[in-house]
Amino acid sequence: MNAPLLEVAGVVKRFGGIVAIDHVDLALLPGTITGVIGPNGAGKSTLIGLIGGALAPSHGTITLDGRDVTRLPASERARAGIGRTYQIPRPFLDMTVEENLEVAQYSIEPFISAGAARRARAELLVRTGLDDAAMFPARALPLLRRKRLEVARALALKPRVVLLDEVGAGLVDSEITELITLIKSIIDSRKAIVIVEHVIRVVRECCARSIVLNFGKKLIEGPTGEILANDEVAAVYLGTQGAREKRSACDGEPVADAAVHVGAPAAERDMLAPLIAAASSNVSDGPLLELRGVEAGYGQARVLKGIDLIVREGQAIAILGANGAGKTTLARVITGAIAHASGSLRFAGHDITGFAPHHIAAMGVAHCMEGRRIIPSLSVEENLKIAARRADAPKTRQRLNAVYDLFPVLAERKNSAGTSLSGGQQQMLAIGRTLMARPRLAIFDEISLGLAPVVMDKLYEALAMLKQARMTLVMIEQDVDRALALADYAYVLEHGVFGLSGSAAEIAANPLLRHIYIGAAD
Amino acid sequence: MLALSVASSSIVSGVLLGGMLALAALGLSIVLGVMRLVNLAHGDFLLVGAYAGFFFFTFTGVDPLLGLPVIALFVAALAIPVYRYLLQPLAERGAEAQMMTMFAISIILENVFVLAFSADTRSIGVSYAALPLTLGPVTVPLVYVIGFAISLVAILAVHWLIARTAFGRDLRASAADAEAAATIGVDVNRVRMLTFALGVACAGIGGTLIGTAFQFSPSSGGAYLLNSLAIVVLGGLGNVLGTLFGGLALGALQSVGGLALGDGYRDLVGMAIFLLVLAFRPEGFARGRR
Amino acid sequence: MKREKIAPAPREAAVILVAFAVLWFAPAFIGEYGLQLGFRTLIYLTLAEGWNLMAGSAGLVSLGTSCFVGLGAYVAYGLLNGLDLPLPAALVVCALSGAALAALVSPALFRLRGLYFTVGTLALAELLRLIMINVSAFGGATGFFLKNDPPALPILFRYALAVAVIAALAATLCVRTRASVILRSVRDDEDAAAQMGVRPFRVKLAAFMLASALAAMAGAVQAVKLGAIEPYGMFGLQWSIDVLTMVIIGGVGARLGPLVGALFVIALGEALADYPEAHIAIAGVILIVLIRFAPRGIVGLAAALGRAARGRALA
Repeated sequence: MNAPLLEVAGVVKRFGGIVAIDHVDLALLPGTITGVIGPNGAGKSTLIGLIGGALAPSHGTITLDGRDVTRLPASERARAGIGRTYQIPRPFLDMTVEENLEVAQYSIEPFISAGAARRARAELLVRTGLDDAAMFPARALPLLRRKRLEVARALALKPRVVLLDEVGAGLVDSEITELITLIKSIIDSRKAIVIVEHVIRVVRECCARSIVLNFGKKLIEGPTGEILANDEVAAVYLGTQGAREKRSACDGEPVADAAVHVGAPAAERDMLAPLIAAASSNVSDGPLLELRGVEAGYGQARVLKGIDLIVREGQAIAILGANGAGKTTLARVITGAIAHASGSLRFAGHDITGFAPHHIAAMGVAHCMEGRRIIPSLSVEENLKIAARRADAPKTRQRLNAVYDLFPVLAERKNSAGTSLSGGQQQMLAIGRTLMARPRLAIFDEISLGLAPVVMDKLYEALAMLKQARMTLVMIEQDVDRALALADYAYVLEHGVFGLSGSAAEIAANPLLRHIYIGAAD
Repeated sequence: MLALSVASSSIVSGVLLGGMLALAALGLSIVLGVMRLVNLAHGDFLLVGAYAGFFFFTFTGVDPLLGLPVIALFVAALAIPVYRYLLQPLAERGAEAQMMTMFAISIILENVFVLAFSADTRSIGVSYAALPLTLGPVTVPLVYVIGFAISLVAILAVHWLIARTAFGRDLRASAADAEAAATIGVDVNRVRMLTFALGVACAGIGGTLIGTAFQFSPSSGGAYLLNSLAIVVLGGLGNVLGTLFGGLALGALQSVGGLALGDGYRDLVGMAIFLLVLAFRPEGFARGRR
Repeated sequence: MKREKIAPAPREAAVILVAFAVLWFAPAFIGEYGLQLGFRTLIYLTLAEGWNLMAGSAGLVSLGTSCFVGLGAYVAYGLLNGLDLPLPAALVVCALSGAALAALVSPALFRLRGLYFTVGTLALAELLRLIMINVSAFGGATGFFLKNDPPALPILFRYALAVAVIAALAATLCVRTRASVILRSVRDDEDAAAQMGVRPFRVKLAAFMLASALAAMAGAVQAVKLGAIEPYGMFGLQWSIDVLTMVIIGGVGARLGPLVGALFVIALGEALADYPEAHIAIAGVILIVLIRFAPRGIVGLAAALGRAARGRALA
């Protein structure tokens, strides 16, 4: 009977009030590759950080080969034999590829002979396909090769446990095939590999067993094939319509967050009137937002590889896609937070290439940012007021009242610090802040992240009211069902371009959609 | 009792002086909070205020305390091109490049002072500089009390500005999350520029006040920089009223140190406290596993 | 990629030792003025090599050089006056005391990252200076005299040369051997380095201790030459300012940065010898220009020009 190589027992990780990992148990046998999957915000990277030593658990133990390593810092865990890669590759940019490996080699064996070290490096570089780039500075490597360097560096530690954190993100099919070959070549009877992934194909082809994390808890564990065919797992990824139906049977859950008013449509429109920008008189004059051939990325990594998008005034658009596909990058390109490398970007007929973010905001683009980005040093009311840039005091008050009508809980907590609110309330605050700018175009970026279905109901009711009031909406969403229920049109990002596009009804009925997320069309 | 009178006078003097130094420290604090920049030329901008007050008084005969608004504007006007042409271009390059640039400004300023004004020690000799004010057992120089009052007003004004105005909201947002603030519509660069000007102006006004109460020379800049840093660390970064109390506390502790150990030990006590607080107070300064 | 026949570290060490041998005989050929200039250059070179090690290799920007220069000076006087130790032995003890002080303050200092570390070193230097001024047991503001007359200039020159050679060899050891990747990993990304098994605290401590030992030795030799020390001079901020200016002008992280920087600043000082304040102000202006337009200093600028010239030649 094999004893587990790595054991994670009852591990809890809290960040302030948020429980990122909630009593997770894991046992890795030597010679196995285990997958860890789950939606964004489920805690996968936190788990890697806990095992690798970058994060210290609030509770629980981690044991490597019978030895308790819970209190060991990252450097000692690396020396003990735990190697990890980073989700976003972090090579030592100003050192060559070879030198990056040397760091690991000389850490664990400072007096290794130069010849032996060189031979070991050469072998590693061949295995990871980097032997032609040995003398290149890491900075010059494109994304895939940086990921390979991450793997090579981890292997240079001669590890017992290898933690691969989203190595598949941002790669095209052929590159994923190469990656899978590499992963399979690493495993041997003495090692265990953990793969955290969004690219389901990698998990399907490499991992015999997988676990699914959701809200920091382990949802289910078992043979990968069974896991991926499981309906509950699919619901976790695709949306919560099914979960909602099941939940109505187990009521009694206190609705802590105050309700959204759902009154008569006319009354709603009046309430929201101060927040909706008047439709421009020249509605016929072309689209509100237009992207043609837009490419963008971070440094070497090309995330968006040719985006064409048209949004007309009054439309509700859904942008979908697996994580790492580039949805938030797209939002940040539109708002000016990052520059696009090529293509054209026009808002209300103006070319906004190179405009500073505050300038674009002044033109009427509001972004309800991923992760909410509530300003901690401002109160709830200040977080709202700061977004009303060119409004005088009476207008600001009008808009504030409209937001407070929409989300009464914000009025109750208006003088509290912005980040003292619960997750759902913070999301309401973020939405309210977006509306305070009286935008012509509102982008809602992953508002459902990490929130319970009950809360999401409230938020989407609010969005429904905005749509009814003819606000132009772009919804970037992981929760596919909800987004498609509200949108007129949908675009699905895959490998940096829109793989699917069409009316919401068409997309919802398309079996390829499930394939993009889960990797298997039934 | 004479000893009680001396001790209490000394401590009260220290507190009053600490209040004036707190104003200067506030300038350092807001620049550090919003721009993540330790302005190594801070002490030298303080001296710009002191020299400006000195020459204002010498050439116009008007009390420099009445001329404070002019001096504040003058110092702020110096700060703007420094930000625009030296700091703004380095914004993408990380805090170190900006800090080293301010370091270079510091050594340039110090030597410009010597070249222009000689290395002499000076003070702004207003007529009431030596007048004492007595209240019970406590006797302090009148000019300390006036300086303290002005500082207090200025600090409260800055506090009001940061806590209650739209600009203050923009400032706090830029300090906490510049990228989010920009997306919301805040012109972060302009906020930084104005914050830098405000911070330097605080240093300058503090310098004028200290110049009336104390002596100064071109080489005093470093000591005032460290003094301001100590106050910022004591009071907590980003906390305006905390900085005030930090100044008062440091002033009192320095006086106690001077009474107990000898006058030369005042600055030493300040430094020792600074290092102790740095060592044991993690907020934003220390690192470690999360 | 053709492998070079001789490994870089021994080759560079050989060059340094040859320079040592040649310069050893310099006093026979160079007059007093040259020796004075050479002495100052060598002292500054020692400090700059140590500083470059900390900042360029390990990423620790220190404004506390004066702390260790002063320490070396006072310890040297204590040993020479009080124990009649011969100078070489005293230098060894000074180096050890510099390293010991660095080790003592490092647990607190290394808790601070980035800018706050720099500020912490500044505060430390100032604290020590104030202690030395006020505590009469350490000589107070008046300081100490050297009991015996200082050695002649040629001998002092050779001591400075020896210390500078030690500094240069230490830098070669750190920059041209496998230690270099470890140091640079800590500089580039401390957390990723930890994930690779590097212990950042120990690495930073080693760099700090080495630089401090070198600074203490330099301070000791300088102090012996002066014949009298007091805290304003030996613990003055001027040391920290000068060494930082020098290395940034020369090129932080470049192997030749300290040498080029030291020569440049000394030359500038000589050119403007009649205007000491202008000389420093101009150095400040040069600093600002370099930080903005040539962040890799003169060495980096020369390397870039060289590459551009080669590119044009090949075109």
